[in-house]
Amino acid sequence: MSTVSKFGFLCGLLLCASSGWAEDKGGWLDWQFPKDSPVLMRDHKGFTNVTMRGPSIVVDLHETLILINVGKKPICGLTLRVEAQDITPWGKGSVIKPSLFVLPGEEFPVKVDMELLRPITAAKSESAMVQVSLDCALFSDLKAYGPDKLNSRGTLMVYEMQARRDRQFLERLLETGRLPELRAELNFGNEDSIPRQLGLEFLRGPHAPALREQALTVNPVNFPKAPVQPLSGAAQVAGNEVRAPHVDVRNLTKLRVSSVAMGWIVRDDQGTDFVAGALTSRLPIGPVQTLSISESGTLRFSLPSGKPMVIERLMTFVNDVEFADGSLWIPSRDDIDAATQDIALRRELATSPEEQRLASIYRREGTEGLKKELKRVSSSN
Amino acid sequence: MNAPVPEHPAIEILSLYSAGDLPFLLRQRTKRHVGKCAACEQQVLSLQSAKAELRREAHGEVLTGFEAIADWQSLESDMVGNIRVGVAASRCIENVGRRRRIGSRLAWAAGMVALFAAGWMSRIPPEDNARILMALRRAVGLEQPVFNGTVVRSTPEGITVRAQGSTLTLLHPQSAVVSMSSPASVTARYIDDDSGQVTITNVYGQ
Repeated sequence: MSTVSKFGFLCGLLLCASSGWAEDKGGWLDWQFPKDSPVLMRDHKGFTNVTMRGPSIVVDLHETLILINVGKKPICGLTLRVEAQDITPWGKGSVIKPSLFVLPGEEFPVKVDMELLRPITAAKSESAMVQVSLDCALFSDLKAYGPDKLNSRGTLMVYEMQARRDRQFLERLLETGRLPELRAELNFGNEDSIPRQLGLEFLRGPHAPALREQALTVNPVNFPKAPVQPLSGAAQVAGNEVRAPHVDVRNLTKLRVSSVAMGWIVRDDQGTDFVAGALTSRLPIGPVQTLSISESGTLRFSLPSGKPMVIERLMTFVNDVEFADGSLWIPSRDDIDAATQDIALRRELATSPEEQRLASIYRREGTEGLKKELKRVSSSN
Repeated sequence: MNAPVPEHPAIEILSLYSAGDLPFLLRQRTKRHVGKCAACEQQVLSLQSAKAELRREAHGEVLTGFEAIADWQSLESDMVGNIRVGVAASRCIENVGRRRRIGSRLAWAAGMVALFAAGWMSRIPPEDNARILMALRRAVGLEQPVFNGTVVRSTPEGITVRAQGSTLTLLHPQSAVVSMSSPASVTARYIDDDSGQVTITNVYGQ
């Protein structure tokens, strides 16, 4: 080790010690699973790197938790909550594993790769810097376990319903021998049709409106059988920044709606549509009632290269609806087909985590591998 | 009987007397003597006459030596003009030197700037350049000031939430698809190469 390296190492150690960053003071990572949890940690492996970056300490955590289903029911989805004491309660993270199909007694890995950057001078408590804990486990009967502090149950439910929809769709294609459609659906060999990537930034808190901001109409994309329909909307747009988007929606049913997730599509100045995601509103909507859903934050969009995306058009659609009785609605394949003639947009709307996973299997193992996987999942459910 | 004539003054005294260069008391005493002594008076007149002749001759020689100088004012103008020309020329030479020095310094500075710019463009990633440019635009008021609340965002390496000076980043591969979810959260979805499972990471801001 050179003299400079030794000096840097010594400085790092001194700074760590002076700021209470000794690992014996609670360590870097801790995990918590309740004793009655259907999921427990059997083992873990990984490593942690601590380095200096200017006036900050960077903690690189790479851990693989080996979890085991100790319950009596198959687990089809799981959410682990990741909390760092420095940013709690203003921010937190989570790792979600949808489409699991873990039978009782089976083990499965969950990787947690993260980086924590904190000022050297920040105080440290007695507990570990990062806490990983179970937020929700969803079983194959769609019942759930866990504190659900992140509303994970609803998220896992949507993923599971999308997974069942897409598996059913692919099974139908296989059963009827529509292999060209299957190939097109799973984008085999077509690198251009992988999900479009974009950069996002969400700002919450005091933020002055951008210069040259103007109102932009939000165009609704309607699914024919959706229980809630978007009527109209608007947002303040300046360049790549969208502020205060709002949309009026109407509950067309006689049921009470407890939450609606509105999907957003952004079109850039090249005419390319990006499904930017879905924002869930937990405002209840009475039967046949119209409600205005708004978001107070500011969103900034950029291309994967980092270049700001110029927003030309905004569209919205109903991604999912949860009723007061706990039941859930998501758009069917027929709904998506009927909503738009744009094939690329249709594919964007239909892409689910499960389809992404099955497409990966199809690319590696072909039709037989896909059939085998669909059969395995069907039997585990 | 006539009063006795005092002793004659020395010839140097008479010479000085004739030129009016004696002190007051000695001049008065010599004057009284010359007024009474015809020989001394003659000596004084002789000295004054010789002196006048010398002055006349001297004047004539001076005119002869400066015959070429017809006009003193003209000569003065010429001399002042020459001096000014000399001073101006020296200033001009001085300015030329200064300009050369300034020019060489500017060229050196421009070269260094060009070298710095080339190094910067080849070494600093475009994203950092964009951030620096944005910071400059903020400094001059063309952009909004830095946001101080909770920020969630995506980067090529992961999704981050920043609050209270600390940043938590959940890392993901570059193939991850990023989208927004609520409330105030960003999601990244990717296939884990080792297990083949879908992994979805989220960061939440409040």
